[in-house]
Amino acid sequence: MSRKLVVVFLAMLVLVGAMGLKTVVTTHGDGSTIMANGASPVPITPYKNGASPVPITPYKNGASPVPITPY
Amino acid sequence: MPGPLTYIIWFVGILCEAAVVVCALKKGAFRRYFLLNLYMVGLIVVELVRYRVLSQYGQSSTQYAYFYYYSDALLTICLYFALCTLYSHVFSEMKAERYVKMGALLLLVGTAVFSGAVVRQSSGKMLSHFVFELSQNLYFVGVVLTYVLWAAILKLRETRTRLIQLVLSLGIYFSLLAANYAIRNLYPQVGTMVAPLAQLVGTFLPLAWAYAFWRLPEEARLAPARLAVIPR
Repeated sequence: MSRKLVVVFLAMLVLVGAMGLKTVVTTHGDGSTIMANGASPVPITPYKNGASPVPITPYKNGASPVPITPY
Repeated sequence: MPGPLTYIIWFVGILCEAAVVVCALKKGAFRRYFLLNLYMVGLIVVELVRYRVLSQYGQSSTQYAYFYYYSDALLTICLYFALCTLYSHVFSEMKAERYVKMGALLLLVGTAVFSGAVVRQSSGKMLSHFVFELSQNLYFVGVVLTYVLWAAILKLRETRTRLIQLVLSLGIYFSLLAANYAIRNLYPQVGTMVAPLAQLVGTFLPLAWAYAFWRLPEEARLAPARLAVIPR
């Protein structure tokens, strides 16, 4: 097996391992983030359940403004 | 707006980051660990701009949230490449630099493709969600890569003290962040208490790297136990 194939295999192995680790860690998480850069305070998000984006709903109940999402 | 404790920890963190660059320049290690120092310079700039955005718009503003997450993604990519240079240093004697570069690029592209596939279903603001997802995924890739590098250092019986210190501190830093995240999720009632801890952890890496550049010369070597002289 060539060295290049070994590199490709190892890269894929690390990717699979990292995504597996992420799944394990965030399965029971509250959707908050793990941030690794600096000591600045994390922005306050308007919601806490899950990291998925808020779905765009075709209807509106009331005239209250749509919450501001960070992404 | 954040409390005074948050600001104090934040500015101590910026000072520690500046200390890394100053110590590296003073000890002539800036070019040898160029990407590590570039990451620190980028971190200082980002932290200062974050402060400006935060004080102008507030912590719950979209401006701060956008700037925070976009800049964090860029910094995570920078930290990823810095970690790859540590690989190059560890495997330098094996002449494996070409393969390390190839693997690093492949892994980055793979992570980006995976992140893109995950957010593909989201209907709006795909780019912002992609940036956030990529940042998180690269963090976990960094964790795994750091542990693999730890194992390689042990296996290869690496003796360069400064290099070992840089890698170990990165590993401890990632582990502390993961532990903090786990505690927050396992015990939500203590979440507000451990929030400043996450900030304190943010100051650990620059502090440990500054120590490595200031106190440990490049020529310093760890004597492996099997080579240590045992008096009879």
